Amino acid sequence: MEQTTSVYQRISLILLILFLTFFTARDIWAKTNHSKVICRVETDRSVLPAGPSQDIILKITLDAPSAPMHIKRPPVNLSLVLDQSGSMNGTKIEQAKAAAIEALTRLGIQDIFSVVVYDSNVNTIVPAQNAANIQGIIRTISQIRAGGSTALFGGVSQGALEIRKYIENDYVHRIVLLSDGIANVGPRMPEDLGRLGAALIKEGISVSTVGVGTDYNEDLMARLAQKSDGNTYFVESGFDLPRIFAGELGDVLNVVAKKVKVIITLPDNIQAVDIIGREGRVKGRRVELFMNQLYGDQEKYALIKVKVPQSKAGSKMLVARADVSYENPFTQKNETSSGRSWALFSGDSKKVAESINVEVVKEYQLNLNALAQERAIELSDKGKKKEAVKELKQSAAVLKKIGSRYNDKELLKEADALEVQAEQIEDQGMSKKSRKILRTRSYQQKYQQQAQ
Amino acid sequence: MTNKRSIIIFWALFLVPTLIVAAVAFRLLSHEQDRLHRSAQAALTQQAKTLSETIHLTIEDVQQNLTLSLLALEQKQIKSRLVQWEHTNPLVRNVFIYTKEQGLEYPLDGMASTKEERLFAVRYDALFSGRTSFDFNREGRQEISRTGTGLKKEIRADSYGSIEDDIEKSSRKTLVALSRVRQKPLAESLDAIQADQQVVKFKEKSGWIPWFNENRLYILGWVQKKENDPVYGVELELMTLLSRLVADFPKLEGKNAALVMMDGSGMFMHQSGALNVDSGQSPLAAVAVSNLLPHWRMAVFVDSKSFSGAKGFLYLSVILLGILICAIISGGVMLTRMALQNQKDARKKISFVSSVSHELKTPLTSIRMYAELLSSGRVKDTDKSRSYLSVIVDESHRLTRLINNVLDFGRLEQGKKKYHPTRFELDRFLKHMIEAHTIRIEKQGMEIKIQISKGDFAVRTDKDALEQVVLNLLDNALKYAGDGKFIQFVLEKEGPFTSLKICDNGPGIPKEQREKIFEKFHRVDDSLGANQPGSGLGLSIARQILQDLGGDLFFEPMPGNGSCFTARIQNYETH
Repeated sequence: MEQTTSVYQRISLILLILFLTFFTARDIWAKTNHSKVICRVETDRSVLPAGPSQDIILKITLDAPSAPMHIKRPPVNLSLVLDQSGSMNGTKIEQAKAAAIEALTRLGIQDIFSVVVYDSNVNTIVPAQNAANIQGIIRTISQIRAGGSTALFGGVSQGALEIRKYIENDYVHRIVLLSDGIANVGPRMPEDLGRLGAALIKEGISVSTVGVGTDYNEDLMARLAQKSDGNTYFVESGFDLPRIFAGELGDVLNVVAKKVKVIITLPDNIQAVDIIGREGRVKGRRVELFMNQLYGDQEKYALIKVKVPQSKAGSKMLVARADVSYENPFTQKNETSSGRSWALFSGDSKKVAESINVEVVKEYQLNLNALAQERAIELSDKGKKKEAVKELKQSAAVLKKIGSRYNDKELLKEADALEVQAEQIEDQGMSKKSRKILRTRSYQQKYQQQAQ
Repeated sequence: MTNKRSIIIFWALFLVPTLIVAAVAFRLLSHEQDRLHRSAQAALTQQAKTLSETIHLTIEDVQQNLTLSLLALEQKQIKSRLVQWEHTNPLVRNVFIYTKEQGLEYPLDGMASTKEERLFAVRYDALFSGRTSFDFNREGRQEISRTGTGLKKEIRADSYGSIEDDIEKSSRKTLVALSRVRQKPLAESLDAIQADQQVVKFKEKSGWIPWFNENRLYILGWVQKKENDPVYGVELELMTLLSRLVADFPKLEGKNAALVMMDGSGMFMHQSGALNVDSGQSPLAAVAVSNLLPHWRMAVFVDSKSFSGAKGFLYLSVILLGILICAIISGGVMLTRMALQNQKDARKKISFVSSVSHELKTPLTSIRMYAELLSSGRVKDTDKSRSYLSVIVDESHRLTRLINNVLDFGRLEQGKKKYHPTRFELDRFLKHMIEAHTIRIEKQGMEIKIQISKGDFAVRTDKDALEQVVLNLLDNALKYAGDGKFIQFVLEKEGPFTSLKICDNGPGIPKEQREKIFEKFHRVDDSLGANQPGSGLGLSIARQILQDLGGDLFFEPMPGNGSCFTARIQNYETH
């Protein structure tokens, strides 16, 4: 009898060891085989015309992998900073509350959640805590009432304070700021909020901004998001808020790379001319760019204009090498990836024309278009409506021409939308709505920041 | 007249001191309110000062720590460390290295620097081009104490109050921690330098420059270790400083005060308190935040109409005072009413005694007179004798009724009246009563009308007591409506009650007297020489008896003129 019991015990022990070994091995396998960020370096033409020196466009693309299924995603430390000033009264505040609850319900118990509301004063109504006591938090959110001024800076500062309570841990830190009005308490210049964003990103905190209606300051919201590497959104009515919050949270819950740094090294005979759209630094033959975070399956890229030297037909040249370093939030380890681009030189113009990389040309044109939109805003702000319209129309014409040449629907669609926008501005002047659309779209284009 | 004067004197003695006390109390309370108002304002101003001092000390600590950290950098590491700070430290906006010979060594020119760095170089062009010396603002220069621990600790923590304790825990602490950016080996080297300091005097220079560019404030810190060494330093990230400081502003309760930090151009940098402040509004008080943030002010705004940390105090006190005065005046009114009521009762009792005496005397006189006539034997006529005896009997009955009423009144007043309810038919009872009194009624020349509706009129009540009620009502009708043409008895059912109405077409009762007639001792004509004798108790007793038996007694005027009394008696089934 005792022997039988002993046999059963042994079998159970073996099964348990096998079971544990299987899961440990699966975790180790998952962690070690987790896909890396892929770095691709492309030029606008793979075959360049032989002859004198020329400018070409380099596109450095980072393809983020999907979030691994078998590893727990990195926890999120989310702070919602909601405007409860008088102008939010009605649908906006109700939808903002619904959006906040929507965001909360998407979090897991390992995540941290806080809610700060601001009018002329700032109050933390849900201090940073695990998103476990959902019903209690929902009750608190439901009690938000609108009224007062707009202390936006104070609101973001308070949100950051809540985030900092868990700053040491390996969370994905994110503030989502919602506002529908002009900040009238605290620093309110776009530069000031940009500086706040630049300081917050040094702590790993990104701020995504959601502007509701047509009365908020889109420059301020875009600058804050840009400097802290967050997303920026414009929603005309409160009804879109839950959707936007859900999309934003989709991004935050899907971070696959943090502290992304790209270094592009050029050969001695190639010179960097310009960085298109993004901010970066050119140190001799090195170009440095920071992209902060990558979301699962997202493609982020940088465009650099470089000058290649005089070349002979048939020669081959290394154009650039890109090294990407980032922190993998799933393993908390630093990872690297790299890519290179070579160019062939040919005297055959047909070969050169056939080697066009439409994707690179398209993204380059779209980025130029984003810059044109920003110039149009500046011109319009200075009262130069005609020049602003001209700028937009010229950009639309270029987009249309290139779109037709390569039969690219996206470019043609963008050109049509821009033409409509330009005509509206020509007829009615730069409306608040047009300005917000232009600012938000140009930002999203330049930084590829848009909820998936 | 005397009474009126007494009342006036009473009220004068009572009201005048009360009003004087109330006025004095109100004045004192107003003064107290003002004092509280002033002290609340002073407390707010003090709070602003304390907050400013805390901010000043925090910035001073931050700057001194950064200066020490800059000084602790080794020559070879300066650039790499500074760049590292720029990328990682939220307190550092820009960094620079400058030499007299080469100008700005870092940030570099052109595309090697970011747009922010290019703007930074332009912003401080006067310094970086050599036009202005770094130590032009001597008064802004800080003498850095390099003795002791080297890094400033929060040594002033104990010197300010509770708000500061909170700030100590959070923003101040974290800010100062951010400014302490040196690495360990460097700290050790600093200790070595400090040791050397005992022997060789250090010739380093350092300072902080509040720099205005396009009317905006920037703060630059710099150090130079030796005469011909490069000048290097950092530009403070003012927004980080502000962001950390504002998060710990004290929360002001209420909606009538606000603490506002304003920059040099009067722009609100942060507000604590829910008061809606207009940008043009002038503050109650304003103190300079710090010489490290030139022209910045901490302003106190209050809504003078509603503000007073204790406006509620005045309201509460006035309410309490009002309640006290109301209580005193109500007491006075009650006392006056009681005195007047007692007076009235006393008058009624005197009138009652007089009436009763008169009532008792009248039948007694008749009885005595006829009894004497009969006893003298002078009345020989048998009919006359019978008539006299009849009068004596009638008067005796009247006397008995009167005495019964007085006795009943006494019992009812003391609650000692005992009832013996029995079941009987009210219609039969009424007919019997009418029969017994037909002669009296007809003597008055009044016609008897009886109206009894069909049905069962069984009741359960005290028959004797009810008889007394009917008798009192009948007596009343005969007394006061004697010149009327009829007396009507009505019996009908009204839900759980049976109504017995005794109506007449006499002169009726004036409207203002209709409820008073049920009061004890009340008589419509209260004088001794009134036309009709009476004690003023009959109706009062009748109503009391009926109420005790679960019914009631009402008066209704008859259409035209006359009176109608309704006795409501509970039906048998209702019991």
